[in-house]
Amino acid sequence: MNINPLDTSTPAAELNFSGKNVLIVDNYMEMRSIFRDILSSCGAEVKKIHMATNGNEAIAWLKKVAFDIVLCDLILGNGKNGQQVLEEAKHQSLIGPACLWIMITAEKTTEAVTGAAEYQPDAYLLKPVTEASLRSRLAKTWAKKEAFAEIHKAMKQQDYAKAMSLCDQRLACDKAHAADLLRTKCDLLLVTGEYDRAKQVLEGILAERDFPWAKAALAKILLKKNDLDAAKCLLEETAEANPAYLEVQDLLAQTLQVMGDLAGAGNVLERAVKLSPNSVIRQKNLGQVSMKLGKMEDAERAFRKSVSLGENSALRTADAYLGLAKACSANKNSEQALKVLGQLKKNFATDEVRVKALAVEGMIHQQSGNSEKAKQIAGEIGQSIGDSNVHPDSEGALEIARLLMITGDKEKAIQLLQREIKNNPESAALLRDVAEIFDQAGMGEEGSRLIETSRQEAMLIMNRGVLLISKGQYEEALSAMRDAYAVMPANIRVLLNLAHVIITYMQKNGATSELIDEARHSLQTANELSPGEPRFIRLTAALNELTALR
Amino acid sequence: MLGVSNKQQTNATNIPVVFNMANFLVSSVHDMKNSVSMLICGLDKVLTSAEAVHLSTHAELVQMNHEAKRINNRLIQLLTLYKLGQKIYPFDPQSICLDDFLRTTVAQYAQLLKFHGIHLEVHVHPDLYWYFDEDLISGVIGNALNNAVRHAHHHIVISASECEGKLTLRVEDDGDGYPVELLEGNGNVMQSVNFHGGSTGLGLYFSAMVAHMHRNHGSRGELHLENGGSLQGACFVLHLP
Repeated sequence: MNINPLDTSTPAAELNFSGKNVLIVDNYMEMRSIFRDILSSCGAEVKKIHMATNGNEAIAWLKKVAFDIVLCDLILGNGKNGQQVLEEAKHQSLIGPACLWIMITAEKTTEAVTGAAEYQPDAYLLKPVTEASLRSRLAKTWAKKEAFAEIHKAMKQQDYAKAMSLCDQRLACDKAHAADLLRTKCDLLLVTGEYDRAKQVLEGILAERDFPWAKAALAKILLKKNDLDAAKCLLEETAEANPAYLEVQDLLAQTLQVMGDLAGAGNVLERAVKLSPNSVIRQKNLGQVSMKLGKMEDAERAFRKSVSLGENSALRTADAYLGLAKACSANKNSEQALKVLGQLKKNFATDEVRVKALAVEGMIHQQSGNSEKAKQIAGEIGQSIGDSNVHPDSEGALEIARLLMITGDKEKAIQLLQREIKNNPESAALLRDVAEIFDQAGMGEEGSRLIETSRQEAMLIMNRGVLLISKGQYEEALSAMRDAYAVMPANIRVLLNLAHVIITYMQKNGATSELIDEARHSLQTANELSPGEPRFIRLTAALNELTALR
Repeated sequence: MLGVSNKQQTNATNIPVVFNMANFLVSSVHDMKNSVSMLICGLDKVLTSAEAVHLSTHAELVQMNHEAKRINNRLIQLLTLYKLGQKIYPFDPQSICLDDFLRTTVAQYAQLLKFHGIHLEVHVHPDLYWYFDEDLISGVIGNALNNAVRHAHHHIVISASECEGKLTLRVEDDGDGYPVELLEGNGNVMQSVNFHGGSTGLGLYFSAMVAHMHRNHGSRGELHLENGGSLQGACFVLHLP
């Protein structure tokens, strides 16, 4: 087939953006007017093309108008950069899945290709942006948006079965998007926990071509199946061949951490941070690993970076502030540490964060020699977690236990630790942290015994209900799981098993609204603790089916 | 990569020499790239307006625009080679429709070809898809096309086809062909690169590097230079696994 380059009837010329709302974000006036001219030559009406010169103006526009197309430069001068504008827009749902976001960059950066997946733009365009390049990118991205519109809608509604069958339908006829469709299908299989099927599809893909993403996905499956050595091996090989593919480095660091190889995880993260220093989350992870390794100066640097990067970002975390405060305190700068906690309280106003921050504050006072103040704070926390429904997360609970242990309320600390073990009896990392707290309190042996008995107790009752169900003893199963829930209210497996037992019971004996509520509550709690567990997704689907039948 | 040591040095008087020449070079390239981008956008805008064609300076403007694009491509190549050397280039292969890809690439040369009175043909099957880093390969084809425009008499052919499990991209012209010295080093383009021999060095080095980066199941991309082909001139041939 021949193409005459002077022939303007390229597919891109068929774009018609009439009636579309367009936002152009660039700090250079010349660039804004160039983009406006190109877009209006694609049929966009000038009165529907809006302009912003910086991140704040962009956010203001995004709050006011539902945009169909956003062209955004990555570097916007002072304040938010383009990536942070996109993160905030998605985080606050200022743009829907149908909005097409094109990021303009001066050059291809590591961040540009490997940022957090859910905050990726639809396309990147390298400067200089000519009419031909912008038109062709718009046409391609627009076609892809349309191809995935229904699939993304089903995914957003968590109707994964529908999303999967839409993928299959399209795969049969859409060659242009085959690669992306296959990848989406694998993601869906991972989300719904169909690891064996996902593995099969991935192996088929890899037989054709060495896709790094497919290897990363395979490693995720190995991780889920707790085959740590194989996961490590595959990730190392993939990282070696694709040094700038940072998701692989992050996964490798995570694997090494689970294996207890903190030094190894630290090395990997340090390398990744050198390649791409501007990830809020990676810097926080590096801070946490450095802290556990006792490298307090490295920890302080990483946490500080995470906090400052997070200033304009929707991805900022309370944990980075807490880590920074702890690192400052360990580096004998308690004044600075308390200041960081002050900033934290300003930025995050939930009870869970408040309690956690209080525990860190207590430790800071203890470390700077003010044990009276530390004791007073420990008492305050003991009160507030005793008589309210504040449930700090695992890390918060450990923080509190550390403080209680050191300020003398060992009994309460042990109680707290036992509860955490029972809630997470299968997390090797948590058990290691608990053991360390016992060690530091000089009760290493007693601690190991306590850990082992609590763990065994938990393991024993965790699966009782499911076992009874499999024997057909439905009533007994239900009551066994309710007992387990009373002892371990934040144990994911217990929560999911309770829901499973209730649902199976209802499938046998018919549904009631009380049982439906109980199952739903249990599922929601599990999802809050660990979002997106495949079993959560499957059980929710089963529960929805029961509700629909009623 | 740029022949500058990255290590911090200490001189005899114990004053640390903290500056790093590579960093200066890289950030200057960045800076220049931004200016050149603006220049290109401005010239493009002028050239696309209807009145521009009637300007007495139109031909010069087309040539200037072309030169600005050439500078930009060179700067991108320098930055990319630097990043490859530092192992920080985000290599990002995607499934690409060759028909779209070649259309977009040659569209940037439409004015220049018209200006030089060169006829360009593109041969590609609309259903041909391949997996490669679009930005890199577009740089490589742009290079080859630039070269061909400079040396062709009237005619250039670009073709893409699948052959023995590899993608073959050919850029052929009806000029006098490559000099013998270049062809002798064939099979190892890197070796034949001569930094004193004019403008061929960087472009070929870049193209060969990019070809080698593309790998699949143990086989890697290759670059070949030939004379002859369908137009009896220079043939720039890229094989991608």
